[in-house]
Amino acid sequence: MAKTGTWVIVILVILALSVAASVYLYVPRSAGGRVAKIYVDGELVRSIDLSAVTESERFTVEAGGGVNVILVEPGRIRVESADCPDLVCVRRGWLSDSPAPIVCLPHSLVIELDPGGGIDAEVG
Amino acid sequence: MRVRSLARDGVLTAVALTIFIVELQIPEIVPVPGVKLGLANIVTVVTMFTLGPGDALAVLLARILLGGLIAGSPAAMIYSLSGGLTAYLVLLLTRKIMTEKQIWVSSVFAALGHNLGQIGAAIAVTGTPSLIYYLPVLAVSGIIAGAFTGLAGQLAVKRLGKALRR
Repeated sequence: MAKTGTWVIVILVILALSVAASVYLYVPRSAGGRVAKIYVDGELVRSIDLSAVTESERFTVEAGGGVNVILVEPGRIRVESADCPDLVCVRRGWLSDSPAPIVCLPHSLVIELDPGGGIDAEVG
Repeated sequence: MRVRSLARDGVLTAVALTIFIVELQIPEIVPVPGVKLGLANIVTVVTMFTLGPGDALAVLLARILLGGLIAGSPAAMIYSLSGGLTAYLVLLLTRKIMTEKQIWVSSVFAALGHNLGQIGAAIAVTGTPSLIYYLPVLAVSGIIAGAFTGLAGQLAVKRLGKALRR
């Protein structure tokens, strides 16, 4: 039986590492130059170079027996509305620089950012 | 004896389902899939530490299946099953090395297991490995939620343990 204090330290270390990793993942990396890829059931349905977008566009993606309305603006993308039960994808808001994708699990829809222009886009 | 444990597990399942449905009314705080308190897991913790793995598994599965039928979609059930079963395994593996005052520690690790199981299922279902980036955020919420449900479960074991084991 380990002492409770030992467990508290173990848990605090995991907590600290997780907080650090969360912050790191949400800190903006490169400005623009990113390609948004929309997947349904793991299959790429559309790919948009966000840095090439000049005016906003709204379109509908059919996924998992429902629809997600996606809004694209210069440099960013979001799910504007959807008919999924939890609306986590909508409340996630804009995706412009985070490596964590937008997900709509009920519809199995994912929008993730791929660094445009190869490895160099990751730097700076 | 069998009727007794059947009735007892039924009551525990009813408690878990009630908590589950009440929690559905609480709006989600963070728009990250999988971040929630998971209050119904208090019942899993209590059952595991008073009655043992068999009853805990029965109550867990009954709650997930019935809860899924009442509230969720089939898709949601995949995630509660994968998360619930991983968390169950962690509880099972850690319960012997924890004292009655460390039940909450078991619960924290179970919550982390829950997060891992769910992310694993989500990666498999959507075919998107980058969902792993949600793990740190989920781990933070899992530790907090797991500590809370674990403490609640620990108190319940202390107060109700004797009556439940009888």
